[in-house]
Amino acid sequence: MSAAIDTHELTKRYRRVSALTDCTVTVPEGRVSALVGPNGAGKTTLLRILAGLASQTAGTASVLGGPPRQDPAFLAEVGFLAQEIPLYRRFTSEDHIRIGAHLNPSWDAALVRTRLAELRIPLDQRVGTLSGGQRAQVALTLTLAKRPRLLLLDEPVAALDPLARRNFLATLTAAVADAAGGLTVVLSSHLVIDLERVCDHLILLAGSQVQVSGDIDTLLAEHKILVGPRKDTAPIERAHQVVHTVTTARQSTLLVRLKGPVIDPAYQAEDVTLEEMVLGYMGADEAPAGKQLTTVGEES
Amino acid sequence: MTWLVWRQYRAQGAIASVLLAVAAAVILADGFHIASQWHSIVVRCAGNSACLQQDGPLVNGVVSDVPYLSLLVPVVLGMLWGAPLVAHELEARTSDFAWTQSVTRTRWLTAKAGWLLLAAAACGGVLAALTTWWSGPINAISASAFAPGQFDTQGIVPIGYAVFAMALGIAAGTVARRTLPAIAVTLGGFIALRLVISNFLRPHYIAAVTTYYNVTGSFMPRGQAWVLSQGAVSRAGVTVAAGWGDLYPALPASCQKLLPAAGGGKGASLTAVFSCMKAHGWRGFVTYQPSYRYWPFQGIETGIYVLLAAALIGVTFLIVRRRDA
Repeated sequence: MSAAIDTHELTKRYRRVSALTDCTVTVPEGRVSALVGPNGAGKTTLLRILAGLASQTAGTASVLGGPPRQDPAFLAEVGFLAQEIPLYRRFTSEDHIRIGAHLNPSWDAALVRTRLAELRIPLDQRVGTLSGGQRAQVALTLTLAKRPRLLLLDEPVAALDPLARRNFLATLTAAVADAAGGLTVVLSSHLVIDLERVCDHLILLAGSQVQVSGDIDTLLAEHKILVGPRKDTAPIERAHQVVHTVTTARQSTLLVRLKGPVIDPAYQAEDVTLEEMVLGYMGADEAPAGKQLTTVGEES
Repeated sequence: MTWLVWRQYRAQGAIASVLLAVAAAVILADGFHIASQWHSIVVRCAGNSACLQQDGPLVNGVVSDVPYLSLLVPVVLGMLWGAPLVAHELEARTSDFAWTQSVTRTRWLTAKAGWLLLAAAACGGVLAALTTWWSGPINAISASAFAPGQFDTQGIVPIGYAVFAMALGIAAGTVARRTLPAIAVTLGGFIALRLVISNFLRPHYIAAVTTYYNVTGSFMPRGQAWVLSQGAVSRAGVTVAAGWGDLYPALPASCQKLLPAAGGGKGASLTAVFSCMKAHGWRGFVTYQPSYRYWPFQGIETGIYVLLAAALIGVTFLIVRRRDA
């Protein structure tokens, strides 16, 4: 299957600040990818470059077979929803449906009307007066009405309450199922829990760099938490990639990406959850690998 | 795209249309009032020019501020419609919505800026036409249509100003990315450019004509001419502007003696002074733009503003297409 997104050493600098550094990622077609990272990691920058709203300083990006560009055919295939839920606050949902109909070659107005009726969101109410959750639903549904092949969602659920969040993700999941593999999604969030149920692919950004990316199941199988006595971890570091180390008075806990079986019988290998893996990489970014961290409350 | 523009501006457009209609009604009513005054004076004086000169200046409108309207409206449109055109979309992030639909930013901007520039031109045109018509009798009496102030509110130049102010607002908003600073830049930039062009550039669109005349006689260019300067010039080429304050020190002593030292000459002695000046080779002069240049000047000035507007819109397109949203 071909790649919906393929970037190579994508870099974006704002004056001297680097927002994205040498980002090389591939998202196969039909996947739902979680773009995870702490605030300021470069998630928004990456998504805006992919949507054609921003341009890179260096590197290349290929989206649906070509570079992101201001071209009606490209724009028609990519749906983008920004964190701020950009809608015309004084316009009604109906106004937005009509704008979309005028600005897009294939426009599924019935989809929006049906979905908003299901959600009991009145079409004739100004979107500025809707609740945050309703507004996000309107914006997502409008983005889906374009019938895009790629959907780029930049922290759309960050400001929503848990129920609205669940409804939003339900709409998204239904759209992915309807498209039967024809829709690729990149959904960014700094909360892993939101993404665990809907995503099957992961891009982890921290400190403007890609820490890890790939199929979630494969990544989970490759990563283990090793718990063992506190001792020199150098042999482990030679054999595997140690992502993150937590050391207490008596024991060491290591998040490792395995390159083979763990031979040392002193370590007990445990499966990782997505959240543990993501937090491990984020922690690794905060404290460079090799530096030992001490859990608060315990003596070192 | 047109539908989006219509949806975004229909409320403002309706308000503007109502205001324009009210203004038009007031100008029309006042204009007919002026015209009837003028007509009755023409009938009463029956070709007697002294009578016309005496009663003519009495002709005036109840609403003497009409010309200010066509001075003010272009820049107000630029501030209220032009400045937010791009800036407010960026501020409200609605550009993220508009620029990720299946139309290019170029087409988006073409539609928005195109319709608004057209609206500005229409507003400027309607007000200019009304003001020109309203000013007809006053132009006939004072022959001042070419003078700064009147020239700026009549003919076709208000269309140029309106288009330029709109373009300036749009460009300022695009560069500043925020509405409020863009409004300030539009107001300041428009006023500054208008002052510079009307004071320093306009008098020189075409080299002015200077007519010399016998200093004991008098000369005034015919029709709606624009007098730039007038005064007297000596045989040696010393030029002095009209007005005794400047003239007195420049005169030969023999002529100065004919004037009371205070400078306020009496009628009899003024004739003697002029004769004395003539004897010393002084001539009167008037430098002016003749009446027939009124429309060429209107065309040149409108052209300058439209070209500047085109340059600003060109820059706006470059920025909107290239810069990160």
